[in-house]
Amino acid sequence: MTEMKKFNILVVDDEQEFREMTVKQLLHRGMEAEGAEDGKIGLEMVEEGNFDVVLLDVKMPVMDGIKALRKMKQAKPLVEVVLLTGHASVDSGIEGMKLGAFDYLMKPMEFDEVLEKLCDAFEKRRIHLDKIEMAQMKKHMSLPS
Amino acid sequence: MERMNDYYASVTRRLLLAFFCLCLVPLLAVGWITKNSLRDINIIRLEDKATATVTAQAKVLSQVLKDHINNLDMLVNFLPPSFFEQQGNTEKLFLAIDNRGDIVDLQSIAADGRQYAYVGPYRTQVKGKSYAEAPWFQETLLNGVHISNVFTGYRGTPHFVVAVTNPLKSYVLRATVNSSSFNSLLLAAQISPHSDAFIVNRAGEFQTPSLRGEDTLSVTARTLISAGGSEAPIVTDDAVYIARPLADGRWFFIVTANVADSMSVYIPLYRQILIVFTILFILALAAALVVSIMLARHIRHADQEYAANSMQFAQMEKMATIGRLAAGVAHEINNPLQMISSQSGWIAELLPEEDPAKVKNLGEYKESIEKIRYHVKRAGTITHRLLGYSKKMAAQQEEVQLNDLLNETISFVEKEAESHDISIHRNFLPDLPLTMTDGPQLQQVFLNLLNNALDAAGEKGEVEISTAVSGSDLVIRFADSGEGIARENLKRLFDPFFTTKLPNKGTGLGLYISYDITRKLGGSLKAENRESGGALFTVQLPIARLGEIKRH
Repeated sequence: MTEMKKFNILVVDDEQEFREMTVKQLLHRGMEAEGAEDGKIGLEMVEEGNFDVVLLDVKMPVMDGIKALRKMKQAKPLVEVVLLTGHASVDSGIEGMKLGAFDYLMKPMEFDEVLEKLCDAFEKRRIHLDKIEMAQMKKHMSLPS
Repeated sequence: MERMNDYYASVTRRLLLAFFCLCLVPLLAVGWITKNSLRDINIIRLEDKATATVTAQAKVLSQVLKDHINNLDMLVNFLPPSFFEQQGNTEKLFLAIDNRGDIVDLQSIAADGRQYAYVGPYRTQVKGKSYAEAPWFQETLLNGVHISNVFTGYRGTPHFVVAVTNPLKSYVLRATVNSSSFNSLLLAAQISPHSDAFIVNRAGEFQTPSLRGEDTLSVTARTLISAGGSEAPIVTDDAVYIARPLADGRWFFIVTANVADSMSVYIPLYRQILIVFTILFILALAAALVVSIMLARHIRHADQEYAANSMQFAQMEKMATIGRLAAGVAHEINNPLQMISSQSGWIAELLPEEDPAKVKNLGEYKESIEKIRYHVKRAGTITHRLLGYSKKMAAQQEEVQLNDLLNETISFVEKEAESHDISIHRNFLPDLPLTMTDGPQLQQVFLNLLNNALDAAGEKGEVEISTAVSGSDLVIRFADSGEGIARENLKRLFDPFFTTKLPNKGTGLGLYISYDITRKLGGSLKAENRESGGALFTVQLPIARLGEIKRH
C-alpha cells in the first residue's frame, strides 16, 4: 500500500457524504481525486479532464451509471471504470462489465477494498497504455514484430 | 378436512345414484316390457282357448235343449190331439222319450188350461189344476214353445220346463227336465281351476250353479248379456269373459278363464328372467360402485392438486413480495452502513498520525474501530442475504457446491436450533463434486427438511446432515433423533395438505413442494425411519456437469 503509484481518480456518486469522504481518503493516500454528483457531470469531467480510473455509482439521478459508463467508454476508451452497486443490482454490475467496466463493488465496503480495486484497474490501464506505446515505438523504429 | 370428506362422500353418493339409475332404468324398462308382452301373449292365447271352449260347449248344450224340444215337437206333430187325452198313452210316451233319464214328468193340458194327463211323481199335487192363467201356458200358446227358468219347485232339485203346442194350438205338451245333467257338461267347459262356466237367463239369474260357487253375477258378465252374448270376449285384469246365447237367446252360457291360472305356465320363464335380471342388476350395481368411487377419488385428487398448486403459487407470490420488501429495506440500510464504514475507516486512517503519547485512549479507539468494522460487516452479510433471498424467486441453473449451500441453509436456522438446545452435526463429504442445478430452489428443499428435522428432534435433540456420492448421484441425508414417522403416515407423507403438526403450524405443503422440486430437478426424495429411531429423509440428485443441464 505504501509504494502505490499516484494516479487520477474521479468519484461519481450522488451521496454527497460518501463522495466527499472517499475523495478525502484518496487524497490522503496520495492520489489525485475529484468528485462528481451525477452521471452527466461525471461524463463532462471525464471528457475534459485526464482521469485514469472512475469510481462510478450505478444508481444515480440525471444520468445513471450504466449510461454514463457507455458514454465515457465512447469518449475515452482507455479510461477504466469501477462500478458501485447495491446487491439488488448485481445484474447491472455484470451488464456494466460487459460494457467494458473493470469490475464492480458492493456496498457496504471498506476503503481498502475500494483502493485495491482502483489500483488493479489502474494497473490494467497502465499495461494497456504500455502496449500501445510499444506498438507505436515498433512502428516508428520499423522493427519486425 | 372433515367437511371435505363429507363433500367427497356426497359426490360419491350422487355419482353412485346417477350410475345406479342409469343401469336400473333400462333394466326395469326391459323387465316391464317383457312382463307386459308375456301377459299380452297369454291373454290372446286365453281368449282363443275360451272362445274355442265356449263355442264347442254351447253347441253341445244347445243340442241337449233342442233335443228336448224336438222330442216334444215330434210327438205333437205326429200324434192326434185325442191321443194325449188318455192317461195311458201319456205314460207310454213318457217311457219312450225319457231315454236319457233326465225327464222328471210329462203332462198334457187342454187349450183351456185343463189337465188331460200327467205322468210323474207329483200326480196328486197337480190333479185338477187349471193352467189357463199361468204365464208359461199363455206363452206356449202364443209362441208355440216355452222354456222356463231353472227352479227347484216342489221337487227340491233344479229343473226346468219345456212346453210345446201343436200347430193348431189345441193342446200343450209339457215336460219337466232335470237340469243337473247340464252341470256335468259345464265341468267340461272349466278351463282352469279358478275359471268358471255357468248358464244364466236373460235377467242374469243363475240357471246352473257357478262352478266356483258364485251367487251373484259379475258386472262384466252382465255387460256381456246386455250385448246379447256377442262374439267378442271381454278381458279384465283377472279373467277373460265370453258368452254364447242358448235356446234362442233365452239363456246365456258364460265361460270365464282365469288369467292368473294361465300365467302359471310362465312362472319358470319368469323365474329365469328374474334371475338374469338380478345378476345383471348386481353387476350393474358393482360397476356403478367401482366407477363412482374411482371417479370421486380422481376428482378429489385433481382438486387437491389444484388447491396445492394454487397454494404453492400463493406461497411463491408471498415469498416474492417479502423478497422485494426485504430487498428495498436492505438497499436503504446499505447506504448508511457504507457511511459508518467510511467514517470509521477515515478515523482508522488518521489515528496513526496522532502522537501516541498525546492520545490517552489510543488502544480503546483502535479496538472500537475494529468492532465497528466487524459489526458493519455483519450487518452487510445480513443485508446481502436478504437481497440474495429476493433473487431466489427466479429459477436458474448454476454450478452449486451442495456443502456450501447446506452450510448457508444451516446458518438460517442455527439460532433457532440453539434456543432449543438442538445440536446440528455436519457429516459432509469433502470435495463433494459441483452440480448444475437450481440452487435457490434446492435451498428451499433443504430448509424445509431441516425445519422438519428440528421440529421432530425437539428440545435437546440431535440432527445430522450428511452428504455423499453414490454412483452418479449426490446423496444428502437429514436424520433426526425424534420419534420417527408413524407407519400409516409414511404413505401419505408427500400428499398435499397432509400434516401432523398443529393447526396453523404447518400448511401440509412443505414436503409436497420439496418432493415436487427434487423431482423437477431430476432427483428424488424419500422418507424412512431409522433403526436407531427418528426419521431419515434422503435427497438424491444426479451430478450434472456444466453444459449438460438436466430438467425433468
